[in-house]
Amino acid sequence: MNLRTAKYMIDEMMVNLGRRKGSNAIAVIIMGLSLLILVVFMMVTLNLASLIDKTSDEMRLFVYLDDGLKQEEVQKIQRKLLGLRGIKEVSFISKDEALTEFREILGEESDLLAELVENPLPDAFRAKPKRGYITSEFLASIAAETEKWEGVEEVRYGKKWFERGERLAKGIYIIDLALGLIIFLSVIFVIYNTVRLTVLHRRTTIDVMKLVGATNAFIRVPFILEGALQGIAASLLAIALLVAIYTFSARYLPGLVFMRHDALAGFVVFCAILGAVGSFSAMRRFLKL
Amino acid sequence: MSQREQRIIAGIYHLSKDLGRHFSLTDINLQVTNGEFVFLVGPSGAGKSTLLRMMYMDDRPDSGQIVIGNFVSTRITRKTIPGLRRKIGIVFQDFRLIEDRTVFENIALAMKVVGTPMSEIKQRVTKILTHVGLYHKRHDFPRALSGGEQQRVAIARAVVNRPAILLADEPTGNLDAVATRNVLELLFKINAGGTAVLMATHDIEMVQSFGQRIIYLENGRVARDREMIFVGDVRDRMEESRVSRRADQLSEHDIRDEEKE
Repeated sequence: MNLRTAKYMIDEMMVNLGRRKGSNAIAVIIMGLSLLILVVFMMVTLNLASLIDKTSDEMRLFVYLDDGLKQEEVQKIQRKLLGLRGIKEVSFISKDEALTEFREILGEESDLLAELVENPLPDAFRAKPKRGYITSEFLASIAAETEKWEGVEEVRYGKKWFERGERLAKGIYIIDLALGLIIFLSVIFVIYNTVRLTVLHRRTTIDVMKLVGATNAFIRVPFILEGALQGIAASLLAIALLVAIYTFSARYLPGLVFMRHDALAGFVVFCAILGAVGSFSAMRRFLKL
Repeated sequence: MSQREQRIIAGIYHLSKDLGRHFSLTDINLQVTNGEFVFLVGPSGAGKSTLLRMMYMDDRPDSGQIVIGNFVSTRITRKTIPGLRRKIGIVFQDFRLIEDRTVFENIALAMKVVGTPMSEIKQRVTKILTHVGLYHKRHDFPRALSGGEQQRVAIARAVVNRPAILLADEPTGNLDAVATRNVLELLFKINAGGTAVLMATHDIEMVQSFGQRIIYLENGRVARDREMIFVGDVRDRMEESRVSRRADQLSEHDIRDEEKE
């Protein structure tokens, strides 16, 4: 293929795009709107995941100590805790600090504590697990192990709530995945069909090109480029609408996460490929090229 | 033309093709030499279009061979078909112009496909449009043209790459008497320039008056070649062929029934 032929192919694409502005615009709008459903879904998924992640990241393991431990004993427990696999950081909360916190939590009702003769709260360690170790099995095993240590009275991490939350998150992920798959396949179907119609509308053009001795490449390339361009235009339309939706809803939902730019770039590339492949396979299947 | 060396540019040898519904082409032999004008005549459904389609190799014979220049139907591949199509021009009853391209662009496309430089395309399309008398309509879209004008554009597109042979399948089928005459005159003019023309038509009476070579397809065979046929005679023959074809079908049915039994 020489340079002139390449230029003629691009000319073909430009003429095709330019002469059918209406039907091209409609195709891009249809594709863009169905892609919008996909990107909105992706953003919802992203936010759900980040919410679940944030919630589980706030998970702490409380190791309550026996009363009257010596300084060295406390430090030994701290070292042992830090030596555990899966523990990120450990902080000491003295019984006095705990009581102050408790007062703050009670607020106006802290008067209730005035009656106390001595502080009933124990000293404790607050351990933060590493990301990826926050599962009910791991927490249960750590709790069981540390509870056996000398000087440890009790280990708590809100077992019931945690397990319930974990099940919920799992359920959400499964539903999300199933929904995502359905939306993804529908979007591919819509785009494939739209591109296919574009190709079928140009049947005469393709027939004529075959009759005058165009090579398959000469016929195909303009259509494939056109399919790719349509895919890009549709994905940009979807992203623009997504930005609008995001800006609007972020006012009501502070902390709403937007997609990363490289993920969006990948999305545009994906749509370009989808358009090109749609065009190519439509020509193969329906025009026997 | 008689001084020129006679050379077969399109040859059909022992071609057979099943057309379905008990119609078929059987043992067709015909050759077109360079610069020749040939009418291919036969009733509708006789297989004229199929024969032409096999000549530009959009369809394959069941047996036998077609040779166009260096291209042989039994050896041609998908990759080499475009090369063949560039050696022949093709015109249809329904013009097949691209609706959203101007007259100029429709013709230029045939040259772009071959990779002709743009300056040459402009020059050549201008020349050919002047030749077919439609230069003033070069920026019009096909729907703005009359049927006869559209067919002239289609013919211009078919010959713009200077093919050795022009295949025309009922090119006047959709046209009124005046447009028909214009198109035929154009085809003769093109033929006079050295391009061989093979034109298929069912209109025997029209073809009669010109004194060109006529090949008559009848019952799927070449019934007559190179001879003048008189109108009355042909009418009889067409009627005869219809009757005998029906008879053939009947007898075929009988044979099949017998075979089943």
